[in-house]
Amino acid sequence: MRLLVVEDEPRIAQILHAALRSAAFAVDTVGTCDDAREAFSVVPYDAAVLDLGLPDGDGILLLKELRIAGNRVPILVLTARDAVEARVGGLDAGADDYLVKPFATAEVVARVKALLRRPGGALGTTLAAGNIIFDTIGRDVRVADRVLQLARRQSTILEHLMRRLGRVVPKSVLEEKLYGYDDELESNAIPVHVHHLRRKLIDAGANAEIHTVRGIGYLLTEPRS
Amino acid sequence: MRRRFQSLQFQLALRLALLYVATTAIVLGVLAYRAYETAGSLHDRELSLRAEDLAGSVVRDSAGNPQLDLPPSLVRAYALGAGADIYAIRLAGGRVIAASPPSFADRINGWPAPGEDPSYFRLPGLGESSDTYYGLSIALDSAAGPLWVSVAHAGEAKTLVLSLLWEFGNDLTWIIPGFTVITLAIGVFAIRGGLKPVRELSAMAATIGPHTTSLRLPEKNLPSEIAPLVHAINHAFDRLEKGFAVQREFTANAAHELRTPLAIVTGALDSMDDRGDLANLKRDVARMNRLVEQLLRVARLDAISLDVSDPVDLEGVAREVVSTMAPWVIAQGRAVALAGSDGPVWVSGNEHAITDAIRNVIENAVLYSPGGEEIEVGVGPDGSVAVTDRGPGIPVSDREHVFERFWRGAGLGIEGAGLGLSITKDIMARHAGSVLVEDNPPGGTIVVLSFNLHGS
Repeated sequence: MRLLVVEDEPRIAQILHAALRSAAFAVDTVGTCDDAREAFSVVPYDAAVLDLGLPDGDGILLLKELRIAGNRVPILVLTARDAVEARVGGLDAGADDYLVKPFATAEVVARVKALLRRPGGALGTTLAAGNIIFDTIGRDVRVADRVLQLARRQSTILEHLMRRLGRVVPKSVLEEKLYGYDDELESNAIPVHVHHLRRKLIDAGANAEIHTVRGIGYLLTEPRS
Repeated sequence: MRRRFQSLQFQLALRLALLYVATTAIVLGVLAYRAYETAGSLHDRELSLRAEDLAGSVVRDSAGNPQLDLPPSLVRAYALGAGADIYAIRLAGGRVIAASPPSFADRINGWPAPGEDPSYFRLPGLGESSDTYYGLSIALDSAAGPLWVSVAHAGEAKTLVLSLLWEFGNDLTWIIPGFTVITLAIGVFAIRGGLKPVRELSAMAATIGPHTTSLRLPEKNLPSEIAPLVHAINHAFDRLEKGFAVQREFTANAAHELRTPLAIVTGALDSMDDRGDLANLKRDVARMNRLVEQLLRVARLDAISLDVSDPVDLEGVAREVVSTMAPWVIAQGRAVALAGSDGPVWVSGNEHAITDAIRNVIENAVLYSPGGEEIEVGVGPDGSVAVTDRGPGIPVSDREHVFERFWRGAGLGIEGAGLGLSITKDIMARHAGSVLVEDNPPGGTIVVLSFNLHGS
């Protein structure tokens, strides 16, 4: 999978390059808006990391240009700007996610992977978390290369937790995904499914773990490297 | 005590009181002098009139000899004995034709002839009377030819005057102090009234602080004596505000500029092979990152004036904060939960500031509560957020310090920058809300942030 990093600060570009490469991505690095424009027009990237403060223009403008031109490449925006501005400005302009400097490179890698795991993303068909592999087309879950049998609702829950790996998935979102509006929903239906899913994963020796954020939802974490 | 002496009221009262004492003394002195003078001349006129009366009563008898024929009322007046007025009438030449008492006739023999203008005399002890007489002699015409008339009155003019003065003085004793008190009261009230705007200014000045540098003291309706002072103070505030702005900008810029090099160091450390002290180094850099981030938040908070009037769903904000922080909290080996209200709780405030306030308290709870205990964030329908941990708790003696910038509890690890709770307190103050530190009965701490419900 090929990524573009648009970052003018050479040391940061270098570090991002190294981190993304060690995560098995092919990485191109450019330092200006012009170079980025050219790169986007030539290569169909799977995702991009875009710094907003560039020497020859504002990254936000570049982002808007791309979206107007119909380029849907998932973009993670990096910014040293205030969180407020970045959230409003960046997401309005078509960014898929943003990170405020200073950031941990591991976080950049995780966010890029999350973008790619979206349905339709380059990693959207085969999801991975720790030693769990989820083939979303075959609906086939493997833990440490052994097939794990899951009930339909359990696998749906796992899919959404894996798509948002490392982030909280609200219980209400899972409810929407699992049940139609007409379905009778018991208040503890989701917790019961999650409980069974968690047990099965532990029994199968999965090293990714489902955590409960009481009152909100659940999140799946990978083992710490 | 010194303050009392410096008070305008006291100084005015003191000076006015001195003025009244001095004025009273001078007025009394002048009055006494004038009274004496007036009394003296009255006395002289009285005696002159007496002399004329006496001269008018001298007639010639059938033998042609001049003799005194007083009306009965005057006879009685002159016959009162000791203390009564005395007189002697001589013919031009010296022969006494009438005298009362008769002993006066003996004394007056040999006195020189008086002129047309009265000549005055003093006559000590006459007969059985020990009084001193003061009187006048004058030459007058009468029906019986030219006469020399001498009239005298016992004692000086003083007695009458003294009694008059005494009475007058008695009245003054009451009037002057009363008048003094009334004037002082008017003075004091005038000053009080005049200084009322100053007291209001003081109250207003007391609210001016680092966050309210744009406030200025009103210069309207001030006594003209104070207006220049207030004007000068406002100018001083202008200059201070500029200084503050420069400082804030500097802090914000410095923190902002530190982000890029820190991002480089952080990234470089992340990409290094794990060996030796790398984990420690990463922790140090993480701490530095937090410090810079918080410095920037402080600077940002100092620099902007928050609009805290928006309706904000406290439950939604708390939910967002807990969701965002959950991965980090779990990575620290803790758990976090949202509890309390089921639906939205609308408070007045600024969403981003409230987010910061809650996040800082959760961060603090995570950093300072060891063990895998759950941190609970409870939203109350009264507009409060309670963050409960099961940590060691905060000693009562430290509770007032936890909100100070750069304060950290003794022996509690070194990760925090010591800015988080001070930022939270700032934010709560800007929201006219409150932040309370309480004991969690089973152990640990509850930090309660109370906002104002929207529309209340």
